[in-house]
Amino acid sequence: MINRIKLFVSILAVSLLVWPAAAFAHGVDINYQTKTAVEIEAKYDTGQPVSEGQVTVYAPDNPAKPWTTGKADENGRYIFTPDPAKPGTWDVQVRLAGHGGMVPVPVGVDSDVAAAGTGYTTMQIVLMSACVIWGLVGTALYFARRKN
Amino acid sequence: MKKIVSLAVATLLMFLVFAISGCGSSATDETGQQAQQGEQKTGTLQFTANGEDFVRQGFVSKDGWAINFDHVYVNLSDVTAYQSEPPYDAHVGGEVIAQNKVSLPGIHTVDLAQGDENAAPILVGKAGDAVAGHYNAVSWKMTRAAEGPAKGYSLVVTGTAEKEGQTVSFTIKDEQEYHYTGGDYVGDERKGVLQEGGTADVEMTFHFDHIFGDADTPLEDELNTGAPGFEPFASLAQEGRVDVDMAALESMLAPADLEKLQDMLPTLGHVGEGHCHVEKF
Repeated sequence: MINRIKLFVSILAVSLLVWPAAAFAHGVDINYQTKTAVEIEAKYDTGQPVSEGQVTVYAPDNPAKPWTTGKADENGRYIFTPDPAKPGTWDVQVRLAGHGGMVPVPVGVDSDVAAAGTGYTTMQIVLMSACVIWGLVGTALYFARRKN
Repeated sequence: MKKIVSLAVATLLMFLVFAISGCGSSATDETGQQAQQGEQKTGTLQFTANGEDFVRQGFVSKDGWAINFDHVYVNLSDVTAYQSEPPYDAHVGGEVIAQNKVSLPGIHTVDLAQGDENAAPILVGKAGDAVAGHYNAVSWKMTRAAEGPAKGYSLVVTGTAEKEGQTVSFTIKDEQEYHYTGGDYVGDERKGVLQEGGTADVEMTFHFDHIFGDADTPLEDELNTGAPGFEPFASLAQEGRVDVDMAALESMLAPADLEKLQDMLPTLGHVGEGHCHVEKF
C-alpha cells in the first residue's frame, strides 16, 4: 500500500513537472522596461519639414563622438531613447543639403535643483554652519550669564 | 580675560568665513576669462574661417555661370568663442550667456580662397590658454578694413565667371558691417570640444551660394529663389569686367535684384551649416 502511494505520488510529481513544461513550451515570455523616448521634429524657417534629414545624437558624457546616427522621416521626425544612465544635455543635430541645426535636449536633469545650487563647497558650508552655531551658542551663554 | 579670548576667537572665525566664501566666487577679468582660470584645465583653441568648396573649387550659379574665385577677403574682428549655458539659440538671438569665453585679439583680413581646391579652412588665430570644455557658440564682426587688400570694405570678392563662351572678371565689394553670433557647429564632425592639453577648432563659415545660387540645388529651392544669381552682375560688365561696391550697385541694379542682394549678404555667416544671428551696424 505504501509502495502504491509512493508510486502515485511519484507519478503525480513527475506529471506536475512534465505537463506544465510541455504546456509552457508554446508560451511567450514577455518582459518590459519603461524608458522615456525623445521625439525631434525638424523644420526649415519656412515651416517645411526637413524630410529624411541626417540626424546625429551626442550624449553628454562624450560630446565629441556621435552616440547614434539616423535619418528623420518624411515629416522631419526622429525618435530616440537616451540612456538614462547619462543624465545631462543631449545634443541632436539635423542636417540636409548644406543646412541644419542643433537642439539641446535635457535628460534626467532637474534644472530647478541644479539652478538652485549654493555655489559653495561642502567644506565651506560646514565651516559656515559651525560659525553660525558658535554665534548662537555664544549669544545664549552671554545672556545666561547676565541673568545669573 | 575669557571675554577677550572669546571675542578674538569669534573675530577669527568671522574672518575665516569671509575668506572662505570669497574663494567660492569667481571674478571676471577684462578679457572675460575667469580669474580662477590658472587652476583650470586648459588647451589650445583655434579660430578658423571657411568659404567651403564653393570658394575653393568654384561652382555653377543658379543661372548657369561657372564661377571661380581668385580672392575672397573678409575682415574679421572681435572674434570670441563661448562655452554657453544655456546653449545659444541663433534663431532667438540676444546676448550669449557663457561660463567661459575666449577672445581673439586684433583685426584679421583673411582670404578664404587661399590655397588649392582641397585646402583646409584658413587659420585666423589661436588662443593657447583656453579653458577646456565645449565651445558651443562663436561671435565675430565683419568690419571695414583700415588697410590691406580689403581696405574700405568688410568683404571683397574677385574672380571670373564663364557662360556660353562669355567670360566676365568681377570684383564685388561690400562696405556694410555685420555682427554675427552663432551657436553650436553643425557639420560632419563635432568642433569646439577642447580637452585638457589638446587642440580644438571653432569655425566661422561663409556660404557664397546665398548670393549666386547653386545649379546643383533645385531652382524652386528657397536658396535659389532668394539668391540674385550672377546674371545681374554680368549685365553690368563693360569689356568683360565688372568692379562694383554696394553704393554703385544701389544705382545700377534692378530694384528686385538689389533687394535680393541686400537680403542675402547678411546671411553669409554660418557655423558650419548652422545659421547665425546677424545685426548690421
